[in-house]
Amino acid sequence: MSSLRSKTAKEMSDLLDEYEIKHGPVVDSTRSLYERKLKEAMAKGKKAKPSPDQTYYREEEEVTYEYRTPDRSDGAGDSGSYMRSRPAWSERELEHETSYSNYSRPKPEYGGKEFSDEPHMYDLPPTSKSPYLKSTPGPPKEAPKAPPSSRLVPLWVQFVFFVAVAVFLYLVFSSMETNEPIKGIE
Amino acid sequence: MSTTSQKHRDFVGEPMGDKSVTSLSGIGEILGKKLEQQGFDKAYVVLGQFLLLKKDSEMFSEWLKDASGANSRQAGSCSQCLTEWCDAFL
Repeated sequence: MSSLRSKTAKEMSDLLDEYEIKHGPVVDSTRSLYERKLKEAMAKGKKAKPSPDQTYYREEEEVTYEYRTPDRSDGAGDSGSYMRSRPAWSERELEHETSYSNYSRPKPEYGGKEFSDEPHMYDLPPTSKSPYLKSTPGPPKEAPKAPPSSRLVPLWVQFVFFVAVAVFLYLVFSSMETNEPIKGIE
Repeated sequence: MSTTSQKHRDFVGEPMGDKSVTSLSGIGEILGKKLEQQGFDKAYVVLGQFLLLKKDSEMFSEWLKDASGANSRQAGSCSQCLTEWCDAFL
């Protein structure tokens, strides 16, 4: 992103803080490293930035969604998806919007710590059956606890497997002593 | 996995003075030449860069990989070497 080149050292420093990249002074010898770091951080998108509690959302392939609020928009409201931070970010968010445009819901991962006071407001569209790890009070329409199919292996398969193992063990034990009922297994 | 080489111990055991950049652990001739070409001709200049990066090992390793083509092991070794030197003398 060539626009990184044209930033002043102070702007770079602010950007690095935004992405929570620990950094020293932005001088000649450190600048290119920080530019690269920022590029990587931006390429990962803002979803890499916030808390590690990310839920796996079934409807999207690799998206993670958080319960945090999408509501507030400090910046220009026109890009719609997750404009919540400083206006200086608007160009970046517009770029990301294209890649995230398939999400109809806002992605509020950015700057999570600013919004810790509103942990439970979000407008998911009604199709959401999002499981999410952090408990949120009231508003979610779905039960937050047990989403129906968040397992990798379906429950019935687990039961069948368990029963099969039990039967197998029974057979093994019963064949240890011929013509005798199993002893020692109560 | 923190066995240190003789080079490491030699470097960390005393003030670096005017030692050349190849005296840093992990930096051999080839990497040393690359660093010298960029102006990092003495160990203390590399130290300067390390300090500019706030003594952050990871950052420094990444910088070193970029600047000299070091691999992860070499960069980590140099990073650790400088970290310990700083702990002892800075």
